[in-house]
Amino acid sequence: MPITLVNPLNETQQSAAGFAPRLAALQGKTVALLDISKPGGNVFLDRIESLLRERYGVAAVIREMKPTFAKPAPPGVIEKIRSADAVIEALAD
Amino acid sequence: MLRLLAVLQTDCPTCRLITPYLNKLAAGSVPVTGISQDSEEVTRAFTRQMDVRFPLERDPGLDLSKRLEVVTVPTLFVMDEHERVIRQEPGFDKNALNEIAALFGQAAIATPHDGAPASKPGCTSRHLEVLTSDAPAPALDLHSSWGTAASVIELDNSEDPHEYCYRVFGDALPVIPPTRERVDDMLRALESDPREIIGRVPPCYGEATIEKIAANAVMAGCKPELMRVLIPLVRAACDELFNAHGVQATTHFAAPLIVINGPVRQELGFYSRQNVFSNVARANSSLGRALQLILLNLGGSRPDSIDMSALGNPGKFSFCIAENEEENPWEPFHVEAGLSREQSAVSLLACEAPHGVSEHNARTARGVLKSISYALTTVWTYRFCGFFEALVVLGPEHVRTIHRDGFTKQNVREFLFENTGVPLRCYSEDDAGEGKQQRGMYREISIDDEPCYQKSRSPDAIRIVVAGGTAGKFSAVLGSWSTGARGSQPVTYPI
Repeated sequence: MPITLVNPLNETQQSAAGFAPRLAALQGKTVALLDISKPGGNVFLDRIESLLRERYGVAAVIREMKPTFAKPAPPGVIEKIRSADAVIEALAD
Repeated sequence: MLRLLAVLQTDCPTCRLITPYLNKLAAGSVPVTGISQDSEEVTRAFTRQMDVRFPLERDPGLDLSKRLEVVTVPTLFVMDEHERVIRQEPGFDKNALNEIAALFGQAAIATPHDGAPASKPGCTSRHLEVLTSDAPAPALDLHSSWGTAASVIELDNSEDPHEYCYRVFGDALPVIPPTRERVDDMLRALESDPREIIGRVPPCYGEATIEKIAANAVMAGCKPELMRVLIPLVRAACDELFNAHGVQATTHFAAPLIVINGPVRQELGFYSRQNVFSNVARANSSLGRALQLILLNLGGSRPDSIDMSALGNPGKFSFCIAENEEENPWEPFHVEAGLSREQSAVSLLACEAPHGVSEHNARTARGVLKSISYALTTVWTYRFCGFFEALVVLGPEHVRTIHRDGFTKQNVREFLFENTGVPLRCYSEDDAGEGKQQRGMYREISIDDEPCYQKSRSPDAIRIVVAGGTAGKFSAVLGSWSTGARGSQPVTYPI
């Protein structure tokens, strides 16, 4: 006999977010560096920042930090990096 | 004659959060007027979607918002008969809402355990928004109260329903197929609309309608009467304080542990004695599994993708205990959370698996607690102090010894706080080690004449539950995940 099941999975409609346009070059661009406040994130991003400035000629670097890695970034942090052409996030320890 | 003005935006989550409370005020004859900063079309959709029961006017050109100097939405303005502002409240705050209700002679409208956070900041007023060239993101539907009916799946005769469910819905163990009949039996246990949304389950924020909760409860093997526990349990799991977003996605060992208190233990057969952490009672096992299936199927924390736990936790199949209040000479866990002893309650704590402490020789409270303190030093990692918490599950035989020496529960916490520390000599090597770089922040104490760093931040970081069987002098220590406002905080909801 055919059987009818009630779907127990998430059926909430999600709006898909596309990728931002890829950059052809970093020269003259503004790059945001996001530290999620894991240990060592600043060490990694300090090095990335100097490479971006010395080797890739970026126009500006925005440094931002999440208050905790355990929660999504608060709107204030996202607002501050919104104007950047690209974002690099330091994820792990 | 006072009136209440509420300046709102249609896509602001905090405005959506506050709207049902404004409905309550309006229902109690408070003259509420809403002011929408958005277009007529989305304002109409908002009114319909949120079931707005007060006049909601528009603010073309944002003239009124500018005149009132609105910075944040929502902002509530209490106006007197001369249109003077006598009180102004930005954002969402339950205490402020209750005080405003009192100004209008109404009883409190926001209770601590209604599923909403105590407070939540709002969004920037439209006239202060920084305009960018980006197209605005589509508004999320975060706080409407009604979801849609679940879809149905028709299986033909060639499909084994058990194999199908195992493959598509499960936690790598077989489940009971959520047939229409079984789900309807579950729904009949509650007199609520199956489309009501109880919470949005992190990290993917799937809508947990009562029907979806029921379908997962069927799969977990719950009896219909467990629905009255599952509803507050899902509210607790979606509470921002608990931060299921982090708990379900972390690389750490943590899993949500359910603790059941009060008369519901006897009414529904929750077990609090021997084997309390394992396979002893249908109520414990099926409720714990239902929560895990809800987190998996509605929250999206799949163990092969978003749930990134490096080693996992056996509690991710089911992790539910009841307190052995009969063997507890002190106040039970839910009473410490502010509820009455007769009120049944469900609590959630992000915990590692239990670490056993055997102590069969000590004859004093001090002796038993000393043994437990050694296990407490190992929480998170031995040399990391100050940031982590622990749940101590005291076995009844240990409780008797401790209580006989006149210790209160607070004495137990304070003794463990003062006697748990890591000797300074463990920090002497030159190589790196987790917990060493923070030592400048640690408090130095002396334990048995040895200089140590104090393990816990305060006695409150050590929580106590009595559970387990009456034979065997054992207790258990369960380490926390990241704690406080930056991590996960335990939550307790009345049933």
